[in-house]
Amino acid sequence: MILRCTLWIVVLFTTLAVDSHAAPPSKLALQGGRIIPVCGPEIPKGTVLIEDGTITAIGETVKIPYDATVIDVSEKVLFPGMISPHASQGLDRPNENLPVTPYLDVYDAIDPSSLFFEDALRDGVLAVHVIQGNNCVLGGLSRLVRPIGRTPDEMTIRPSLALKLSASPKSGSDRMQQMAAFRETFLELAFYLENLAEKRYEEELAKEKKEIDVGPEEARKRGAPLIRKEDLDDRHRNLVQLTEGQLDAWIYCDAATDVGPAINLAKEHGFLDRSIFVLGTEAYRAVQELKKADRPVVLPPDLVHRERDPITGELSETFIPEVIHEAGLLFALQPNPDSSLAERYLNYQAARCVRHGIPRQKALESITLNPARMLGMEDRLGSLEVGKAGYVVVLSGDPLDFNTWVEKAYVDGILAYDRTKDVRLKELLDLEEKSAEKEKQKEQENVESATQEEKQKESPAETKTDEKTGKEGEQDSEEGQKNEEEERDDK
Amino acid sequence: MNGFLGTHYGKIRKPWRQMILFALAWLIVSLLLTVPSWSEETSRPTLAIKAARVHIGNGRTIDRPVILIQDGRIQAVGSDLSLPDHIQIIEIDGGSVTPGLIDANARLESADMIPASRKGPGQQGPGGRAAISRDERPCHDSQVPLHVGDEEDPTGLADLAAGVRAGVVVSEQGSEVVPHTRVLDSVNFCSSDFQRLVQGGVTTIYASPDASAVIGPRGAILKTAGPMDQRVLVAEAAVKATIGTEPNRLGSYNQSPYRNSVSLYTRRPNSRMGLTWVFRKAFHDAIRRKDGLVAYGADTSSPEASRVLYEVLEGKIPLRIQARIQQDIHTAIRLCDEFKLRFTLEEATEAYRCIESIQASAAPVIFGPIFERPNGIRAFNNESNRSRYSTFRALLEAGVPTSLSAQDLREEDGLARQAMHAMRFGVDFEDALKAVTQTPARMLGLDGQIGTIESGKQADLVVWRGQPFAATSMVVMVFIDGNIVVDRR
Repeated sequence: MILRCTLWIVVLFTTLAVDSHAAPPSKLALQGGRIIPVCGPEIPKGTVLIEDGTITAIGETVKIPYDATVIDVSEKVLFPGMISPHASQGLDRPNENLPVTPYLDVYDAIDPSSLFFEDALRDGVLAVHVIQGNNCVLGGLSRLVRPIGRTPDEMTIRPSLALKLSASPKSGSDRMQQMAAFRETFLELAFYLENLAEKRYEEELAKEKKEIDVGPEEARKRGAPLIRKEDLDDRHRNLVQLTEGQLDAWIYCDAATDVGPAINLAKEHGFLDRSIFVLGTEAYRAVQELKKADRPVVLPPDLVHRERDPITGELSETFIPEVIHEAGLLFALQPNPDSSLAERYLNYQAARCVRHGIPRQKALESITLNPARMLGMEDRLGSLEVGKAGYVVVLSGDPLDFNTWVEKAYVDGILAYDRTKDVRLKELLDLEEKSAEKEKQKEQENVESATQEEKQKESPAETKTDEKTGKEGEQDSEEGQKNEEEERDDK
Repeated sequence: MNGFLGTHYGKIRKPWRQMILFALAWLIVSLLLTVPSWSEETSRPTLAIKAARVHIGNGRTIDRPVILIQDGRIQAVGSDLSLPDHIQIIEIDGGSVTPGLIDANARLESADMIPASRKGPGQQGPGGRAAISRDERPCHDSQVPLHVGDEEDPTGLADLAAGVRAGVVVSEQGSEVVPHTRVLDSVNFCSSDFQRLVQGGVTTIYASPDASAVIGPRGAILKTAGPMDQRVLVAEAAVKATIGTEPNRLGSYNQSPYRNSVSLYTRRPNSRMGLTWVFRKAFHDAIRRKDGLVAYGADTSSPEASRVLYEVLEGKIPLRIQARIQQDIHTAIRLCDEFKLRFTLEEATEAYRCIESIQASAAPVIFGPIFERPNGIRAFNNESNRSRYSTFRALLEAGVPTSLSAQDLREEDGLARQAMHAMRFGVDFEDALKAVTQTPARMLGLDGQIGTIESGKQADLVVWRGQPFAATSMVVMVFIDGNIVVDRR
């Protein structure tokens, strides 16, 4: 018996060891950089120590263990990995045609090879909340992933995080249908649970070889606590988890008119305290309702709402984060993948907020700490502090400066991105070849001029006889000298 | 004085002397009264702008400048200027000033052009949603019919017969060669597109026609705001030609002429070969007509077009060619070589593949926008897939005069952001600024009037909170001809 037990333990341990194949370097010290921890004051020059994928020390003076890999990041900025709070781009298709699909899981549609994840890594987004698109009534399960890994399993930070709901109809549908679908779904759930409770009570009685002895209502009452997890089918299990508190709800509201019904729906079925509201461009107008509900919001990618006065034709614009910030709501920003370029960067979205007068700290939180809070991951992600996971971005400058590049990205303490090895970026910037070519040209010129100088020294008589070549030689040698002088200057 | 007059009055009692004296007195008094108003006329204290820094636009900067503006023009710029009395002073703490931005290849919203669309500009979009989403914005949305006539005259023949009276669409669709038409005629000056431009700091645009004709209409150079009579700087600017797939892709009646006679419903070029042929034939027609010969054949351009094209050949009217991919840029260069034409290259997305050829052709380039993956009006063709971040920088490094354009992108996403992109991809601030101010002004031939902040030039200014083109900076104020047109203080 003991032998068998030890065997099992050995097998278990070996499988575990195999599973964690991408073992991070056990100890890693990022030394000498400017640290923006987001959760606290900046450290002008400090060190972050990551042990086994978790930050164990941070500060100006950190005792670095003798066996730690030390990486010099002086003149660089250390920033927590940014979090994309609401993305359906990693999926092969963002929406399912059916309206009510709580049995779906984005797990089945995540494409690890998608360019989206590569871009996310390049842009410093180290955690992506992959969730179904907005064209649904009640969608499937979402998942928090990191943009590295060959399979969805390897990528996963946290599975089955939330259910997607949409209070706004997709095109071709209308708001009455939308709400009717919600009512039908939850009525059907109640009906299903009642039937199941009755069945369970009957089953339990059958075990004791008894026949049902009470009326149906009483049977349902007695049977309700007897329902086990495995009794529920896929469709209803997730709905039960939603109403009972194991799953969050991310509710999309395209327009302001959708916010009220969405809040009522969440209140009615008991998941308002676990609801996150994903807003469309116009929904910010319902800011009072949102403030009353006091729930976090995810702002639309295009942060500006533009409106034409129907009478004068004048165009007015509202910067949405300004309104939300004034109301004191917790908000997170999304990147805008449809933008020409700049709004693709989450840190640029935060910079736009600062431009419109939102405090720097709030803007930085809205791309790191706030989404982490919304995802229930604030104990692991969203800032640089002891005990959190080693999701660190090494930036070339301030995160709100548009000329800043992501130099390196560490995911769970693993070096996941290095700009010097980013082939695609090099091609887009046309970087490497040119500088290499220039160096080659310089070298060649130097070599040529040197050889010609040598020639001149060796055979002055020859150059005198042939005037043309002599002149050329002189010119070249002058150029060579110039090159040499330039080089000296460079040094 | 009175005593003096009085004594005279006492001594000499002659009425005509008395009259003279009164006249003298009246003259002196009236002169005394007019002097102050006269001095106001000469150095009218109109406006002084104080800021933390001004970027002149030619590479120079002045710290803590004062910009004096008079009659819509810049009178003086300097840090040690004395301010006249009674002057209106606008002081922006920590603000920096740049010249008004110039987009040398702006595409105006076609839905706002008269009468391009059957739907009014406010009615577009589903469910009466007034917001302008990017999807509703493109100039060449297939849902917005680029039609020739209106409902009463479905063939549009009446319109054509009356010439291009109203500027039917962005580019006239009656022929592939329409350089005798003008974009100006179809510009809706009340369009909110101008408002969106000016909010992004753009003060002058070259309103470029779309690419739906091989040799398209002539553009116009316009101010984006201000009194109507001052908005048009140049009514008839360059002729625009297009090399690429756009003319056959965008033409509204571009059916194949198979089994049909060639009419205005069947336009010819379906390939790059056909397109090049139309271009070449148009110029040959112009030369033949000038020589008194008859132009003939199926694709003969109109005599009006030939007249304009002959002026292009003579170098009196500038030529612009839109070409995106390497092959098309080479074609443009070859065609212009054939007809000894000078031209400006538009878009040039793949310029990085043929920098040497562009250098040799001496053609200036209006590049942009900078993007990685195409969106908007560039999204649905195969010409924009191989864009690179570095192209603009490479053109500058090769010494090609290059300006930046945002084309159909507006506001935050507009021209200022193009400069910001350029800086991210390795261009200096001053070079980026020049590419949206001085360089386009030169290309438009207006560098005597706009493009830099120098005395005598039009007072088109942008005031930024913070460093211009920085992500956290905002356009606070925009001045056109010395008038405030945007004020976000």
